[in-house]
Amino acid sequence: MDFIFSVLQEAFVPEVIMFAMLGVFLGVTVGAIPGLSGDMAIALLLPFVYKLGPVSALGMLIGIYKGSMFGGAISAISFGVPGTPAAVVTMEDGYPAKKNGYPKKAMLTALYSSVTGDFFSTLLLIFLALPLASVALQFGPVEFFALYVFALLMIAFLVQGGIKKGLAAAGIGLFIGCIGMDPVIGTTRLIFGVSRLRGGIPLIPLLVGVFAVSELIIQFAKEWYRSRLKKIKELSGLSKESGYDPSKDIMSFKVYLSTLKATLIGSVMGTFIGALPGAGSSLAAYVSYGAARQFSSHPEQFGKGILEGVAAPEAGNSATCGASIIPLLIFGIPGSATAALIGAALIMQGINPGPLVFQENTLIMFSFFVVILYASVMNLGIGYALIPLYAKIAMVKSRFLFPSVFLFALIGTYASRNSVTDVWILLVAGLLGALLKKGKFPLGPLVLAFIIGPGAEKALRQALLIGGGEWSVLLKSPIAIGFYAISVVSIILLIRFQKKLA
Amino acid sequence: MKRKECFLMLFALILLLVFVSLSSFAAEYPKEKVIRIFVPYGAGGGSDISGRMLASAAQPLIDQRIDVICMPGAGGQEAINFVMDQPQDGYAFLLTDYGPLITTALTEKVGYDLSDWKAVFQITEVVPTFFVKADSPIKDVNDWIAKAKAEPNVFSVGHGRYLSVPHLPLILFEKLTGIQNKNVPTTGGSEALAFVLGGHVDIGASVPSTIGATVKAGQTRALAVCSEERVPSLPDTPTMKELGYDVVLPAWYTIFAYKDVPEDRIEFIQNKFIEALNTESAKSMAKNLNIFLTPYGSKKSQEIYNATIENLKTLLSELKK
Repeated sequence: MDFIFSVLQEAFVPEVIMFAMLGVFLGVTVGAIPGLSGDMAIALLLPFVYKLGPVSALGMLIGIYKGSMFGGAISAISFGVPGTPAAVVTMEDGYPAKKNGYPKKAMLTALYSSVTGDFFSTLLLIFLALPLASVALQFGPVEFFALYVFALLMIAFLVQGGIKKGLAAAGIGLFIGCIGMDPVIGTTRLIFGVSRLRGGIPLIPLLVGVFAVSELIIQFAKEWYRSRLKKIKELSGLSKESGYDPSKDIMSFKVYLSTLKATLIGSVMGTFIGALPGAGSSLAAYVSYGAARQFSSHPEQFGKGILEGVAAPEAGNSATCGASIIPLLIFGIPGSATAALIGAALIMQGINPGPLVFQENTLIMFSFFVVILYASVMNLGIGYALIPLYAKIAMVKSRFLFPSVFLFALIGTYASRNSVTDVWILLVAGLLGALLKKGKFPLGPLVLAFIIGPGAEKALRQALLIGGGEWSVLLKSPIAIGFYAISVVSIILLIRFQKKLA
Repeated sequence: MKRKECFLMLFALILLLVFVSLSSFAAEYPKEKVIRIFVPYGAGGGSDISGRMLASAAQPLIDQRIDVICMPGAGGQEAINFVMDQPQDGYAFLLTDYGPLITTALTEKVGYDLSDWKAVFQITEVVPTFFVKADSPIKDVNDWIAKAKAEPNVFSVGHGRYLSVPHLPLILFEKLTGIQNKNVPTTGGSEALAFVLGGHVDIGASVPSTIGATVKAGQTRALAVCSEERVPSLPDTPTMKELGYDVVLPAWYTIFAYKDVPEDRIEFIQNKFIEALNTESAKSMAKNLNIFLTPYGSKKSQEIYNATIENLKTLLSELKK
């Protein structure tokens, strides 16, 4: 009892509450700005965090992490530009929902699902950390490859308007993912003599380029074309103020309940994938979206603005927050880049993540858990307060909006790695995205393939190295066989479903 | 009235300009501008964290801001090229291990000569360490060799990226003993640790800061470290040298200056950095961060840098055979 009291005392110090709130606020803000992400903010704050007390420091960082996971949805829904890599999937339905005149519903669904998923995974972190972590360790190259195969099949679920174009886009994504350094023998490949590409194509410029800059290019071209025709009118594509009816766009508890199934699917998937070291929040969002679509009673409305399509990925990406800390705390192996940074912050505070962390720092760790829990509630409050502010930005006239988004994209991309090359990649990716959009190619598969292609290649080659070149090694793990089985079932279901539609 | 205002404004402006030029004229190194240390890795990595620790300890002594800037682009070459393009006035430094600077230069075409770089200050030494899961049948290094000789390629070793700091000692060790293992590259030490704990690979190669906590908890056992002397955080682990194998290949995080940075400025920085890392606050910070401080000045760092170049040259030419 005394212990619980001292934990609560430690966790509810005004300073700790203040820093956690500041963290959530910063997180939502950087998450909402395309190109800026939570891990960047955490990395920049690391040296300052050293001077804070351990619980305040961790509270602030975890606040940023949680806030940024939701913040990414704001720009995804408002501008069709994912604020963070993990929000790419949110855009699939969030942006159409906004165009259909339901920005508020979409935003609030994103917020509530985020908070639900995050809360769920935090509870699991607290109560089930040990068993979950031992499952995560069962994942070696063989199992990871099977997981990636399963995830690649999710591409099929994401494809809108034609499997052929979807596969073509995925092929482009895989190709871009191969540029750079061979993961096994370290030689450069596909860099066409450009030494600046030897490190490979970084994710952020590609993402912001393909989604944001491409849209700007298209809208700019439209505007230019119109002005030539001397028909300068309001842009109809992005801001549909004219047809907006606020009375239809009301978020209620009933609406939340209607998306609850998708939210729960996302929460479970996100927690599970988050606990796997290195799998990451983007993968969690994709898999959640695919699964929610498969189990939905209206799968045909996915991609057209259905709220379930917002709820599942948002719950999924936010659920990785708590979960990715599990392997960090138990084994000192971070589940994501952000968790790695939080690990660095822990180490700076003299707390060594690893098997002994709970014995050596009992009070701090349990206070940290309490802070993680209430940071979720703060995320709800602060997110709710910031939505109207940030969503208003979406209603700004396009001639102001586009240049500012472009500027943010440029600055954010440059700032993420201090690289001019990245800015060039951003612009080239923008052109590529514009061309693909014009040709009605879906962009989701491209990005998914780009994200998981290199991981799949690495896992496959590691598995083959360990197995001495025998392909049969891929079927030696029950977990892997399970994934292949689910994949086969998914394919069958998909084919049946398409026959039904036809 | 308006005219008068204009004159006043002009006068103020001139005054300002005079002050600015005077102050910049009077300023001495390193007062003119911010000192920047470029790191060829992403934020939060080992070199970044040790750089930030050094910067926060040294700032009050130098009375100048020190910024640590991460430029992981082009596998670290962007940071290196950026430092080369800066004026050689002692305000831009490179902080790196040997990977991007030396290994890349020996395996690919780069825009610099290794002798163009002057070592200024070594912050820390990072020691490659071999480890196994606690219940592994491999008892020690000699047992590993005996079993691997009896049946080649039976053990797999997860070692971080190809030709990374823990991989090179593994290659050297295999050359010296003639044993063969399946070398499995991983994204880094954490993945190697996860694979060892999960039983996916038999042996891991990483650094003490990554595996220290699991060794302490009895989940892993460290077989050997590849440094001249034992590592303070793993006092019970023998060095490869003690065991009779000349595998001494520690990495370092060292600050470098490019070409014509004046000697007196290098000396100034080196002295201030040594002073900074000898303060109590820096020592406690380093202890918390698991950084084993080796605050060597320019001369000793340069010797270590030259020795590493020679070592790597031999090792890489061996590898090509």
